Amino acid sequence: MAAPVPWACCAVLAATAVVYAQRHSPQEVPHVQYERLGSDVTLPCGTANWDAAVTWRVNGTDLAPDLLNGSQLVLHGLELGHSGLYACFHRDSWHLRHQVLLHVGLPPREPVLSCRSNTYPKGFYCSWHLPTPTYIPNTFNVTVLHGSKIMVCEKDPALKNRCHIRYMHLFSTIKYKVSISVSNALGHNATAITFDEFTIVKPDPPENVVARPVPSNPRRLEVTWQTPSTWPDPESFPLKFFLRYRPLILDQWQHVELSDGTTHTITDAYAGKEYIIQVAAKDNEIGTWSDWSVAAHATPWTEEPRHLTTEAQAP
Amino acid sequence: THLRAWDSWGLLACLCTVLWHLPAVPALNRTGDPGPGPSIQKTYDLTRYLEHQLRSLAGTYLNYLGPPFNEPDFNPPRLGAETLPRATVNLDVWRSLNDKLRLTQNYEAYSHLLCYLRGLNRQAATAELRRSLAHFCTSLQGLLGSIAGVMAALGYPLPQPLPGTEPTGAPGPAHSDFLRKMDDFWLLKELQTWLWRSAKDFNRLKKKMQPPAAAVTLHLEAHGF
Repeated sequence: MAAPVPWACCAVLAATAVVYAQRHSPQEVPHVQYERLGSDVTLPCGTANWDAAVTWRVNGTDLAPDLLNGSQLVLHGLELGHSGLYACFHRDSWHLRHQVLLHVGLPPREPVLSCRSNTYPKGFYCSWHLPTPTYIPNTFNVTVLHGSKIMVCEKDPALKNRCHIRYMHLFSTIKYKVSISVSNALGHNATAITFDEFTIVKPDPPENVVARPVPSNPRRLEVTWQTPSTWPDPESFPLKFFLRYRPLILDQWQHVELSDGTTHTITDAYAGKEYIIQVAAKDNEIGTWSDWSVAAHATPWTEEPRHLTTEAQAP
Repeated sequence: THLRAWDSWGLLACLCTVLWHLPAVPALNRTGDPGPGPSIQKTYDLTRYLEHQLRSLAGTYLNYLGPPFNEPDFNPPRLGAETLPRATVNLDVWRSLNDKLRLTQNYEAYSHLLCYLRGLNRQAATAELRRSLAHFCTSLQGLLGSIAGVMAALGYPLPQPLPGTEPTGAPGPAHSDFLRKMDDFWLLKELQTWLWRSAKDFNRLKKKMQPPAAAVTLHLEAHGF
């Protein structure tokens, strides 16, 4: 039977283990570092002396000693491929001394911001993006001012670069100013746009555009569509429509502007030719035309060729 | 609406009261009456015509005022010193306006705006500007008459000026040149916005006045068709 180890001995052992661990183990979490694409960086091996004997690895692969300056790793002309987990080890004991998670990226350029009302008079939305990628995480901050009043821009539930503003008042003479700032670990940038309530109105394209041949009419096509479902109040805010059509074999479009209704009959189609038809929408008085709808295809009615054999019948 | 009398606009208020007392457009002949529909359509069409006319007039006038008024980014704070009728309205309030109120607000707004425009015309420096402004004022007078016609057809009384809107006391200190130009800027902006609003107002009225298609069908069925 072994004698029980006195608790004092356990305490001393535990303390020694902690001290040892603190002096020889690296941080649990690697040090995160962001550096600019194209720049040079020197990574020291934690607190090691300059002349300490160390080996560096990136993502588990050894790095050549000619990249070292003493115990420091020197990287010239950083490329995206340089991003990774760098670790330096004590050369003889292979003891892990320091880890750096390096991210190579760029500071943000001026963001591109645009706002649009496809749900007039309910509200409008603004969306943004960076013209070139930064390769590292960015945070965006949007503010909306109506005169001196700050308005809330609610984040879109699905798209992370879009937010929505509800109109409280209509027919305002005061402009809206939307500002956005973007920042990341390497820098920041901002931009703003100012506009009148009416200028950003642009409906979504008409939906469910269907083109059908008209029986017994070889030069007609009947086109029907629906007002976009996002337009909240077509009664008080009626839309007008613009229809364009052409046979697939030609490049030139024919245009018709329609101030009312959601059907139109084309009467000058070339017989037997397949047509492509699109419709766009616009508020009757304000804003701009929507994008073109999804195209509908149709070929006008053609007469069935008569079968001569039906004339000769067996008696 | 209530006009403040402490500045030179007060003098114009005097002129405005003259306008109120102009003979109203006589009511439409009731026999064979097609209803107010055609005159609502005509009023709507007039707002579109005026809005189009205003675009070139405003461009010319703002150039006459010079920078910064003619710069597209010009975005001054609205100090509210002017007594212009404002088109801006809460969305729900606008939706729920009854026909009478909707028409009255339009009529009163254009009456005041016409008055101010006539004042502008008097001060305008070039003959070309005076001509354009005069032409626009005539068209705007036509719009007022058209709105009055719709109101009469629907049996609504034309708004009368409230007692006490005549100028009382001396006009206040004259505006600086810059502030006068700001007033002109806001007048044109408010006019443009009112014309956009009126188009929407008259759209709404048009839809309400239209006899539903079902009623026409029932009428035919009743005659055995």
